[in-house]
Amino acid sequence: MSLFKGPMRTHLNGHKDLTEHGEVVSLNPSKVSIPLFAGADTNPEILVNVGDEVKVGTKIAQFSSRFVIPVFSSVSGKVEAIEDQLHQSLKKVKHVVIASDGKFTKESNPTIDYEKASKEELVDFMMNAGIIGCGGAGFPSYVKYKFAKDVEKLIINAVECEPYITSDYKTVELHFDEMLLGIKAMQKMCEPKEVLIAIKKSHPELIQFVNEKLNGEKDIRCVSVPDVYPMGWERTLVYELTKKRYDKLPAEVGCVVNNATTAYMFGKAMTTGEPIVSRMLTVSGDGVKEPKNVEVPVGTSFHEVVEACGGYTGEDMVVCFGGPMMGGTVTTDAVSVERQNNALTVLKKQAIDEVACLRCGSCSDHCPSGLQPVRINQAAKLKDNERLGKLRVDKCIECGMCTYVCPSKIAVTENVRRAKRAYMMANAKK
Amino acid sequence: MKFNYSPAPNYRSALSTKRIMLELLLGLLVVYAFSLYYYATHFGTPYLMQALIIMAVSVGSCVLTEVVWALANKKNVISYLTGSFPWITGVILALMMPISIHWYAVAISAVLCILFGKLVFGGFGQNIFNPAAVGRAVIFAAFTGLTTADIVTSATPTTVMASTYSWCVTDASMVSALLDSVGGLQNLLFGFYPGALGETSALLILIVGVVLAIRKVIDWRVPVVYIGSVFVLTSVMALYKGMGMWYPVYHILTGGLFFGAVFMATDPVTTPTSAAGRVIYALGCAILTVLIRVKANLPEGVLYSILIMNACSPMIERVCDCEQIKGLKTSLITFACVAVLGLGSGVLAIHAVEPAKKPEPKPEPKPVTVNKDSKFVQDFKATVNGSTDNGDGSITYAISCEGYAVMDHDGEPNELEITVKDSAVVSVKVVKAMDTEYIGDRITDADFREQFVGLTLEDLEVEALSGATISSSSVLKAVMTALEQ
Ligand code: SF4
Ligand code: SF4
Repeated sequence: MSLFKGPMRTHLNGHKDLTEHGEVVSLNPSKVSIPLFAGADTNPEILVNVGDEVKVGTKIAQFSSRFVIPVFSSVSGKVEAIEDQLHQSLKKVKHVVIASDGKFTKESNPTIDYEKASKEELVDFMMNAGIIGCGGAGFPSYVKYKFAKDVEKLIINAVECEPYITSDYKTVELHFDEMLLGIKAMQKMCEPKEVLIAIKKSHPELIQFVNEKLNGEKDIRCVSVPDVYPMGWERTLVYELTKKRYDKLPAEVGCVVNNATTAYMFGKAMTTGEPIVSRMLTVSGDGVKEPKNVEVPVGTSFHEVVEACGGYTGEDMVVCFGGPMMGGTVTTDAVSVERQNNALTVLKKQAIDEVACLRCGSCSDHCPSGLQPVRINQAAKLKDNERLGKLRVDKCIECGMCTYVCPSKIAVTENVRRAKRAYMMANAKK
Repeated sequence: MKFNYSPAPNYRSALSTKRIMLELLLGLLVVYAFSLYYYATHFGTPYLMQALIIMAVSVGSCVLTEVVWALANKKNVISYLTGSFPWITGVILALMMPISIHWYAVAISAVLCILFGKLVFGGFGQNIFNPAAVGRAVIFAAFTGLTTADIVTSATPTTVMASTYSWCVTDASMVSALLDSVGGLQNLLFGFYPGALGETSALLILIVGVVLAIRKVIDWRVPVVYIGSVFVLTSVMALYKGMGMWYPVYHILTGGLFFGAVFMATDPVTTPTSAAGRVIYALGCAILTVLIRVKANLPEGVLYSILIMNACSPMIERVCDCEQIKGLKTSLITFACVAVLGLGSGVLAIHAVEPAKKPEPKPEPKPVTVNKDSKFVQDFKATVNGSTDNGDGSITYAISCEGYAVMDHDGEPNELEITVKDSAVVSVKVVKAMDTEYIGDRITDADFREQFVGLTLEDLEVEALSGATISSSSVLKAVMTALEQ
C-alpha cells in the first residue's frame, strides 16, 4: 500500500478447507445437454443429427467464425435432441442432448508426441482438441501460442484466488504427470526463459508436493504468491511475478499465462487423444450439504451435481457457476456444466443492510484495475459519459472487489457493470 | 425451492459502515474520558459537571434535530438515525468546545450544524462541509462571549502563542518563558492544559488514531500527511528564522492539530475518495493551517483549513478522476507543485512576521503583610481549647480562630496547634482549615506556616497568602493568642 494508491487487492476468507482434502467423486449422469456456446459466437456448425450414435470425444459441433472452437460429446450414447435450453448466461442457447449408455466408450482421436512435433503442429493440435482456458474464462488457448514471441515467462496459474474453489489444486494433485506433460509442450510452443507454477503461499503442502515432483526439472519451478484476491487474475499475477504492468496483453511484457487445469487437459489430449469431456468441479458453499470436488462430464445438469453432494441445505438459495466473487447466478438448477466451469458455489440467501455511501474510498483503494468505482457510480448517476470515459469504466473486469469491500453494502460492482454497458452502447452508437 | 437472481459478487467483507461508526465513537469516547479525568482532578466537580453537560447537550441537540427532520419528512426515525449517525457529529462538536462555553451556545450550534452542515445537503454522505466544523465555526463567529460565569480557565497554548508571541519567537529567554508557561513541550504532548475538551492530549489521540487506522476506521494517509507536512513546513520556517526545533513541535502539538487530523480531516464524506486525492487534500490542510496561524495570526488554523479544504474536495476529486496507475504521475506532480507552493508561501509569511519582543518588565507588586494591627487580626476571636506541656520547655496550644468561613457565611473557625518555647514560635500546625477550597485552605502550605517559626510577640509579621489575606490573618491571630498565654 502506498501513499498515492491503494493495495489493489485484499485477503479473502477462502473456505478452501471445506473441499481441499476430501475425496473426489465421479458422476455418471444418464443424460447430458451440451451447450453450443462460445461467447459472442452463436453460429456453430452442428455435426450430428438426432438419433446418431456418439462416443466420448466425438466432435459434435464447431465454431469457426472468430476462433476455431470444437465441441465434443462427453458420454457415449445416442443424440436425443438438439434444442434450445436455458444457458448459464440466462439466454436460450442450442444444446445437444445425449442419452448416455453408461459405458463411456471412447472415440479414437489423434495423439501427438510433443518431443517430435514442431511448434506449428502443436498449436494446430491444441486448436483441434478444443483446449480452452479452464479457469473460468473459456478463451481458446491456441491463440496465445500462435503469435508468441520473445517470451520471458510462461506462468502456469494454479492460484485459484476465488473463495471456496479448489478444483485446480485437486487437478494438480491428482493429475500432475499429465499436467507436466502439457506444460512441457506449452514450453516448446512459446520458448520461455523459465516456467513458473504459481500457487498461493497458504497451501504449503501442495507447494511441497509440486517441488518434490519437479525435482530435477530445469527451467520449471514452483513459486508461492500471496493469499490475496484477485491474485489469479492475469494482470495481478504478472505484476506480482515481474513487477511490470501491461496495457492489453501479457505478451507485451513477455508473459504467457495458462491455467493449470488447461495444461492438464492439453497433456491428456496429447497422450490419449481425449479432448475436454469432463472436468473437476468444486461444489461448495454453505448452501450444499456435503461440499466436495466432483469429476463431471460436460453437460451434466447443476441439479444432478448438487444432488451428488447431498442436496441443498435450505429453500432460499443463490447458485453461482464459478466462485462467489465473479460467478453469475442461475435462476434454475436445470442448467448444464460447461468446460470452463471450475466450481459451483451454492450459498444461502443473505439479507443485505445497505446504507448511504460513506465515500470511504475503499473500493477505489482495492480495485485491481485501479479504477474508482465510487466516482463511476456518481458519474453514472449524472449520466456523464465523458467522465465515465475519463474514469475508464471500460477497463472494469467485473471482479466483484468493489462490492466485497464496500462497508455500506452497496452493490457497487453491479452499478459499475451497468455503467460500463451503457457507456459502451453510447460509444458504439457514435 | 427458490433460486435467487443475484448479480456477482455474492460475497461481502465483514466490515460495515455501522461498525466503522461505532468504533469511531468508541475512539472519541476514550479521548473524552481523558478530558473528564483532567477536569475532575485539576479543577474539581463543577468543571466535571460542565464537561458532562456540554456533551449531553451537544449529542442531544444533534440527535433531536435529526429526529425532527425524519418526522417532518415522514421517514422511519430509527432506521433514519442508524443510517445517519448524528451522535458522531455531536461528540466531535462537544470535544471541540472550550469548557467555559455556555450550554445554550452548544445547543444552538449543534442544531445549526446538523441542519445546515448536513441535512440541507441531503443528509449523511451528501454534505460538503464537515458538520462538526461548521458548528464550531458558528460558535467562533457568534458566541465567543457566551460563557458560563463560574467556569474560568487560563489561555490555551495556542492563544498564548498567537496573542503574545505572534507565532515567531527567536529570543532564547522568551522561548523558555513561553515553554514554561505551558508546562513544557512534554506537557503539550500529554495534554494536561486547558483547551477544547478533547483536543489537548496529542499522545492519547495519536494512540487512538493508530488503532483506528489499523482497524481501517480512518484512512492513515490523511493524518500522516497532514501532521507530517505541518511539521516539515514549520521546520523550514524555524530554520529560516533561526528558531529551534521546539517550534515545529509546538505547532503540531497545539491548536487541536492532532484532533483535527485524526478525527475531522479524515471524515470520509467531506474528503476526496481516492488515495491521491486524499494526500493532496491533507497537504492543503497542512499548508492552510500554518498560513492561517502565522499570517492571519489566528489560533484556529486547523478548523478553518479543514473547512476550506472541504470546499476544495470536489475539485481535487475531479482532478484525480483517472485510472489510478496511469494517473500516478499526474498526482505526484500535483502534490509536488502544491508542496513547493506551500513552502514558498510559508517562508514568505514568516519572513514578514516580526519576532515577538520582550515586554517591559513590570514592577513586582509589593506583597501584602499582616501583623498585630491588621484589621482582621483585631476583629477575629480566638479561643484556647487546651494546652499540653511537652516536657522540653515547650507548650502546645490548641486554638480555634475565626476566619473567612465564619465571616462569610457563619461557617466553622479554623483549628490550629501552636507550639511555643521561651516566648517564641516553634511550629504552627493546621488541624482543620475551614476557609475556601484552593484559596483560604492554603494556610496549610508549609511555606506559609514556616514564616512564623522563631517569631515573638514583638516582631510578629508575615507575608499574607496572595488572595487569602483574611485566612492569613486568622492564623496570625491564633499565633498571637498562643504567644500571649
Ligand atoms: S468490479 Fe470493476 S470497478 Fe469493481 S473492483 Fe473490480 S474491476 Fe474495479
Ligand atoms: S466502498 Fe462503498 S461506501 Fe466506500 S466509497 Fe466505495 S461505494 Fe462508497
